[in-house]
Amino acid sequence: MLQVLLVDDDAEFTDVACQIIEFIGHQVWVASNLSEAQQWLSQQEFDHVLLDFMLPDGSGLHLIDYLKQNHLTPYVTLITGHPSVKGMLAGLCGPKVNYIVKPLQREDIEATLNRQNKNTKVADSKLPKLHFGCLVGESKPMLELYSMIKRVAKTSANVMLMGESGVGKEVVANAIHFATDTKEPMVATNCGALSKELISSELFGHEKGAFTGAIARKDGVFVRAGNGTLFLDEITEMPLDMQPNLLRVLENQRVIPVGGTQEVAVNCRVVSATNRKLEELAQGNIIREDVYYRLAVFPINIPALSERKEDIPLLAEVFLQQLNHENNTGFAWAPEQLDILKNNPWPGNVRELRHAIHRAFIMSEPASKTIQLPDTFISPFASNTRQSSAISAGQTIEDLEKELIRVTLNQVDGNKTQAAEMLGISTKTLYNRLHAYGDFAV
Amino acid sequence: MNIEKKDINQLIHDTRSPLNRISMQAELIKMVLENDMPKEKALTAVNKIIVACQDCSQGLQEITEFTQ
Repeated sequence: MLQVLLVDDDAEFTDVACQIIEFIGHQVWVASNLSEAQQWLSQQEFDHVLLDFMLPDGSGLHLIDYLKQNHLTPYVTLITGHPSVKGMLAGLCGPKVNYIVKPLQREDIEATLNRQNKNTKVADSKLPKLHFGCLVGESKPMLELYSMIKRVAKTSANVMLMGESGVGKEVVANAIHFATDTKEPMVATNCGALSKELISSELFGHEKGAFTGAIARKDGVFVRAGNGTLFLDEITEMPLDMQPNLLRVLENQRVIPVGGTQEVAVNCRVVSATNRKLEELAQGNIIREDVYYRLAVFPINIPALSERKEDIPLLAEVFLQQLNHENNTGFAWAPEQLDILKNNPWPGNVRELRHAIHRAFIMSEPASKTIQLPDTFISPFASNTRQSSAISAGQTIEDLEKELIRVTLNQVDGNKTQAAEMLGISTKTLYNRLHAYGDFAV
Repeated sequence: MNIEKKDINQLIHDTRSPLNRISMQAELIKMVLENDMPKEKALTAVNKIIVACQDCSQGLQEITEFTQ
C-alpha cells in the first residue's frame, strides 16, 4: 500500500480520485494548493505525489523544487492538460518524475502508481517490516510499544512520551497519529526552541497587531492541528510560568489567541515528549503536577537502543536502504559489520546509530559494494556517559575513588574546597587522598 | 506571452477541468457496476457528470466568444 499525496484545487476531482485510489488499495491525502502540500510533506512521508500542474498559489514545478530543497524523494506524477510538458520535465526533473494527461482514466492512475509499486516491492522484500509506517524493530520492548500505540490510538487520550534523547519520540508520535487512521493533520512544535515571548503566540495564535511584529493574524498549533494530533516536544523545557496557560487549554479545550477576546474551540490529541526521567519530573521544579496529569493520561516509555540490541541490524538495514535509495547506490552490510554495530553501546540511541551509518556511507568507496565502518564510533556525548558510568567488575575501589575525585575536580575547575564539599569529605581528607594518589593533574 | 494567449489558455484549462471530472466520475460508475458498491454513488456521479457537461459547454461558449 502506498501513501499518496494528491495535490489539486478541483475538489470534485480530488473527491472522486480519492475514492478510486483507495479502491485500488492505497492511502491518499489531499492538498488543494502548494502551501497545503508543503505542510503535508513536512509532516509525513509519501511514496507518491500526484500533482496538478496549475495550482492557485503557483505551479506544480514549485513543489518539485520544494521536494529537492528538502531532500524528499517521493515519485511525482504531474497531472497536466498538455502532453508538451514532457520536454520540460526531461530537462528539469529526475527519473522519479513523470506525467499523465487530462482527462484522466482509472488505468492512468493505476498504471502510474503500480509502476512505482513494482520498483519499491523489490526493495521492500528485503527491508524489515515498518510498523505504523515508520517504526522498526521486533524486540520484546518494541512489540510492547506497538501494543500500547494500538491501544491508545483507539482513544483520544493525551500521551506523554518518555525516553532518552535520540530514541525516536517524534517517530513514535507519528506512529500514534498514523494508528489513529485520520486524515486530520499532525502538527509538531518544540517547546524548548521557543522564547518565552513567542511561546503563547506559537501555541495559541495571535491577532493582527497583538504585539510589535504581529503584522497578520496567525493560528496557533492547537488550532492548526484541528481534530488531529499536536506534538509538543521537550514539554519540560516550557517555562513554569507559561504552564498555567497550557493547563487552561487542556482543561477547557478552548484557546484565546494573544490579543484576542474570542475563545476558539480546539479538539486535538496532545502527544508530548520529554527526555527527563520520571524521578526528575517528580523532584525537579520543571513541570506542574496538574499539567503532568493532563498530558500524561497515557504515559509511554520508549526503550533505549541498548535495551533492544537485536533491533540494531534491522535499523541498520533500513537506514542503509534509505541512503541507497536517495543516492542511487547499492551498498550492503556484511554480517560481521552488523555484529560490530550490535555490540556498540550507542548512548545517543537510534539518532547516533543513524548518524554513524550516514557518516560511514559518505566515507565508503562508491565502487565498493560494502560499507566501510570506522574503527571506533566516537561521540562526544558517549564519552561523557562512559566516564560517569564506566564501572565494571575487576576495578578496585581505589581506582573508582581516584576517578571520582578527578571528575569532580574537573567539574569545579580544580577548586579543592568546592570539590571536597561536593564529594562530602573535608578538604583535609581530599588533600590526603590526592597526596596518596600522587597529586594527579586535573 | 501576451494577455490574449494567457486568457485563452486559462479558458482552455477551465474547460478541461469539467472534462476531467466527467472522465473520473464515469470511472467511478464503472467501479460501482463492476463491484458490489452502493448504487447511490453511481447516481451521484451521473448527476455530477450532467453538471460538468454544462460547465464544459459554457467553457466552450466562452472560448468561441473570445476568439470571434
